[in-house]
Amino acid sequence: MQSKLSTGGKIWHICVIIVVIAYMLTPVFGTIMFSIADEWGGILPKGYTLKWYEELFNDLRFWQAIGRSFLVSILSTVITLIVMVPAVFVAATYLPQYERLMQGIVLLPFALPGIVLAVGLMRIYSSGPIPLTGTIWILVGVYFTVIMPYVYQSVRNSLRSINAIQLVEAAEVLGAGKAQAFLRVVLPNIMPGLLVAGLLSISLLLGEFVLANMLVGGSFEVLQVFLFHKFSISGHLVSAIIVIFFTVIFFFYLIILTISGRRPKAKPVAIAEEGDQA
Amino acid sequence: MSFVEINEVSKSYGQLKVLDRVSLSIERGEFVTLLGPSGCGKSTLLRAIAGLNTIDEGGIVVGGQDITHLPPKRRGVGMVFQSYALFPNMTVFENIAFGLKMEKKPKQEIEQLVNEMIATVDLKGKENNYPHELSGGQQQRVALARSLVKRPTVLLLDEPLSALDAKIRRSLRNEIKEVQKKLNMTTIFVTHDQEEALSVSDRIYVMNHGNIEQSGTPQEIYTSPKTEFVARFIGNYNVWSREELQNTAFRGVPAEGEMFAVRPESIRLTAGPAAEASGEITADGSIVRASVLGNVIRYEVDVSGLAVTVDTLFDKAGQEHRLGSRVTLHIPKDEWKAIQKSPSKTGR
Repeated sequence: MQSKLSTGGKIWHICVIIVVIAYMLTPVFGTIMFSIADEWGGILPKGYTLKWYEELFNDLRFWQAIGRSFLVSILSTVITLIVMVPAVFVAATYLPQYERLMQGIVLLPFALPGIVLAVGLMRIYSSGPIPLTGTIWILVGVYFTVIMPYVYQSVRNSLRSINAIQLVEAAEVLGAGKAQAFLRVVLPNIMPGLLVAGLLSISLLLGEFVLANMLVGGSFEVLQVFLFHKFSISGHLVSAIIVIFFTVIFFFYLIILTISGRRPKAKPVAIAEEGDQA
Repeated sequence: MSFVEINEVSKSYGQLKVLDRVSLSIERGEFVTLLGPSGCGKSTLLRAIAGLNTIDEGGIVVGGQDITHLPPKRRGVGMVFQSYALFPNMTVFENIAFGLKMEKKPKQEIEQLVNEMIATVDLKGKENNYPHELSGGQQQRVALARSLVKRPTVLLLDEPLSALDAKIRRSLRNEIKEVQKKLNMTTIFVTHDQEEALSVSDRIYVMNHGNIEQSGTPQEIYTSPKTEFVARFIGNYNVWSREELQNTAFRGVPAEGEMFAVRPESIRLTAGPAAEASGEITADGSIVRASVLGNVIRYEVDVSGLAVTVDTLFDKAGQEHRLGSRVTLHIPKDEWKAIQKSPSKTGR
């Protein structure tokens, strides 16, 4: 009776999974087909070609856009990490009374839709004492706030999982200063967490369009803006760009999964087996 | 002046007074235990000595130096934590060497000192293992070695055995005591386990509600508790107030004292009613429960409504008292201890 029920359940599970996967992969598959299609007729293309990729790879603007995208994403992520990691550490370890304030600040970007943020920023920075609109710096600044919540959360979790407060206390009693305790004990142990947070942020920013288009647009053309311009020219070309973008992001996530899947060195709580003792 | 002097130390968290003008003094090489239930302030006091907690009032002097306001790294104390707090990114060797590296000792000297210490705590062959590859007992030995290698002025042990299972706990406890004796290390040990405290300490301070209730050698604490709290906390004492005794059949209860404590193993049981003996307090009762605890049988005897716990050595099988049988309790007069009533717990 029970086994009958579970086989029935199993088939049902598999059906649902297949439908979901199909639903999610169909557009990807379609995009790939379209990017290698010569001419489309009926359900499948009439002929296959790589000419769209060839055209793209011969386009200097494409390479520049990719370069700019990576530059601005990596720069923003690195700056965010450099600012946020020590800040979160200090708040979590030495100033717990400010933790709530920090959480409030970190959640603020969620309260503002991207478009509202962009319009406001454009108004402030298009003229006046700091004219930043149209430069890479306004993008770096706004990307900082975009990824701040993710960075905060992952740093926080990393610190908790290694029991950072106790490690710092142990290091201090052993004669280390606060800075030494951070650099030699805390930082090496939260490194995997930081790497994952960084890669996630970069891949998130690589796909960002609204802010990039509104604040900078053509004067610092990143990949998503380039893609947008190509829409009016050729759908095949756009598909090829998207396929390349997917591939890059895919490898990013592969790296992230490898790093975060590794067995953490730190044990969260001190309960270990006593195999070879007694 | 003693090696460690703690003078009138107070600490509050908001309304809650965690330490209330606590004073204690410890001689060089002494093994002292702070014993008490959780929340009694023992860990707060220990962390204050390490500099991990600030204190509101009072002073702490170690080896003639006032360390009350020094940062932890300049206090020269060593500390072992309940959860080991080993550095997960470092090997056993690197963990133990960490404190010496912070002192900027030459490499060769570090290597020699660390290797000596690894031999002392019996971790030879584990030098290049990471903490997560060790058992809990081994990890705690690394933590101990890491503190001892710096030759601290005082070694602070914050419930170091609580995360281990019973067997390891006992063997590591003896090891700690041995190493402590060998190095003549002044040690302050914090625990809530009275058996642990009694077995390793030279002297015990029993703490409750941020105060020291009683101090003394393990024998003094165990055989002569001064207050109701200590008697209840330290063992399986029978604790009675005069009121409770009023309507019972105890003969020869002293005229003075409000509360009394009697150790269960100091009571002798004989079958049936017995003639009154001088120099003893006696009572008739019946056995209501008997449980074998290994080498000891623990009886619960009903003496006109009052439950009395009696421990007898389980030396001859088959001679136990049966449930419901009438017995006489004999208590030597000097084992009938008058104690102070502890205030009932309020506000916690």
